Amino acid sequence: MDVELAKPFIKAAVDVLSTMAFIQPQVGKPFVKKNNMAQGDVTGLVGLTGEKNGSVSLSFSKACAVAIVKNMLGDEIEDILSDVKDAVGEMTNMISGQARAGLAEKGLIFQGSTPTVIMGDNHTISHLAKSPIMAIPFSTDHGGFTIEFCFE
Amino acid sequence: MATLEGFRDKEFLDQITILNEISGNKDSEHLPGLVKLLKSPVGDTSIDYMVVNALNAVLSQSESETVAGMEDDHPGYRILCIRVAGEYGFGTATPTLVKIAEQETDPDRLMEVLTSLARISDSGALPVFRKYLEHEDPFISALCIEALGKLRDLSSVGFLKTILTESEAPDKYEICDITTWKAVESLAAFDTEDTLAFLVEKLHHKNPTVRRIITDAMTDIGSPVIPLLLAAFEQGDTDMKILTANVLGFIADKACADGLVAAFDKGLASDNNVRYALYEALGRVGTMKGIICLVDGLTEEEELTLMAVIGGLEKHVNPGIVAKLTTIVQSATEQGDRVAKAIINTGATNLFDALYENAGAGDGLIAALEQSNDPEIIEEFRSLLLEIGGSRAEQDLARLPQPEAATRKALAADDSRSMCAMHKAILTDLGFDPLLAPNGQEAFELIEQGEEFEIIITDMNMPVMDGLELVGKVRNTPGYEDVPIIMVTTESEASQQNLARKTGVTAFITKPFKPDELKEKINELLA
Repeated sequence: MDVELAKPFIKAAVDVLSTMAFIQPQVGKPFVKKNNMAQGDVTGLVGLTGEKNGSVSLSFSKACAVAIVKNMLGDEIEDILSDVKDAVGEMTNMISGQARAGLAEKGLIFQGSTPTVIMGDNHTISHLAKSPIMAIPFSTDHGGFTIEFCFE
Repeated sequence: MATLEGFRDKEFLDQITILNEISGNKDSEHLPGLVKLLKSPVGDTSIDYMVVNALNAVLSQSESETVAGMEDDHPGYRILCIRVAGEYGFGTATPTLVKIAEQETDPDRLMEVLTSLARISDSGALPVFRKYLEHEDPFISALCIEALGKLRDLSSVGFLKTILTESEAPDKYEICDITTWKAVESLAAFDTEDTLAFLVEKLHHKNPTVRRIITDAMTDIGSPVIPLLLAAFEQGDTDMKILTANVLGFIADKACADGLVAAFDKGLASDNNVRYALYEALGRVGTMKGIICLVDGLTEEEELTLMAVIGGLEKHVNPGIVAKLTTIVQSATEQGDRVAKAIINTGATNLFDALYENAGAGDGLIAALEQSNDPEIIEEFRSLLLEIGGSRAEQDLARLPQPEAATRKALAADDSRSMCAMHKAILTDLGFDPLLAPNGQEAFELIEQGEEFEIIITDMNMPVMDGLELVGKVRNTPGYEDVPIIMVTTESEASQQNLARKTGVTAFITKPFKPDELKEKINELLA
């Protein structure tokens, strides 16, 4: 994949988290993954088609996901599990949408699927791809999350 | 005819219609009006977004206006023009973009400019790509590496080599940076003898991900790299021979097999592990010469090596192979027994099917099958015998042992089919029901599915997920804190044993080993 695809996602992740959840994530050093699994406690996953086909996942640690929900909903948390699921799905959708808009401005048109949210302590998900997978780690005051890109 | 006159006072729907029409006809007469709308927006998000789209469409027809716009006072319009120049590959934009890139200090804007330059891919941009090759933002640096590779800038080769060399430093080799990844791809894109030879030299990179990227790159390049790989096979040490043989097998070109056979004839494959890798590669390629070499390999006495030979022949069954095998198997010699056992243990049903016609060879195979404790193998050949049918097959079916279902489970992970087959035979012999996986990831999936294993055997280097990572994950899985894990290593991986022990490996066994040695080790650990 081309590295230029990553920047709009980073920008979108920082924008969305800081405006919606008042969390300012710090971008870490990107790297190439050894395997094709995403790992985390809560993961939002979107499929992308168009210019290239692939998937992008956002995997949050439990602490980070809970912090997002608390910041978004304040004291109105009813059912932490379903609220986390909802919030991460919404985040993923917004980030994917904003990043795709950013890519479209550069003439790279992608369609995005509706996000799927997977929950489970320390779960793993497999991306299907032949090319190397790039991961970008983020850190926040409430634990980290990772964005992974996987394109054919 | 669309007009932008009085646009702001129009109804929302009319505004949309006008902008849509402009996006379609791309008429440059609307440019001034659109630029005005961009600089002082209407305020409605969707309309403003459509203005950008319409501008993009109009600018796509006007290279000179776009180039001029890249230096406009309005930052939004500037960026739009820079993107359009890249999107439509406007070559005349290069000098201006280069000038902007040289002065730009904001990494995000710099990335925009460089992205456009990379898409235009004009040699005029070489100086800026070289300038930002070492930029602290890894994306910018990676983009420059990629662009220089595409433009085949030979003067950057030295730097790209340095990236790859430095990525092996003790504090760096554990992570594969995106710059390292792009450096490998760019060096491969140069496709010169020098860069390819360098990549061959780095086949044994300390980081498994980098090794895989290099292997993939070489497999894609194919023919041009074959002579270099063969040279490295001839001159390199045992590890290099194994690695190059693997890559040659993946490329699967006739020249690969010819070269390997030539090296074999020169006596360059005296090491068991090398011969093993060589036979596996020949099996993948499957040329006449390769098959003859495999047939000659039927004199191998070491169990594992012989299994690699059989595994290779199984894919290319022909009358010559069958005749030779028939003679060996029915010869009632020790080698005959070994070959029969290897056919059974590799599950070589094609060979079995062909050999069985001959009663003598059939008997030899059935005798080997009777000794097998592996229920799956027995089942596989049982159904084959049913298919073959006839009175002799029926009698033989009655001779086969009724396997008892083993309840103790063991897990073996190895990317080599022959190694897996050997682990399976050993574990079955010890009364285990062995589950096999071709890499760490699939092995871990078995654990995640809730299988309970008494012992785990894993290779160190595997694709997708290597042994070390698998061990780390297993140790973090509740209930697997103390399950014995044996790691299979080669001599050269001894340096990594410390790390492996820290990760949670219980014991090591060094390849090549005799089945009994592994059995002993397993019994010792489970005692």
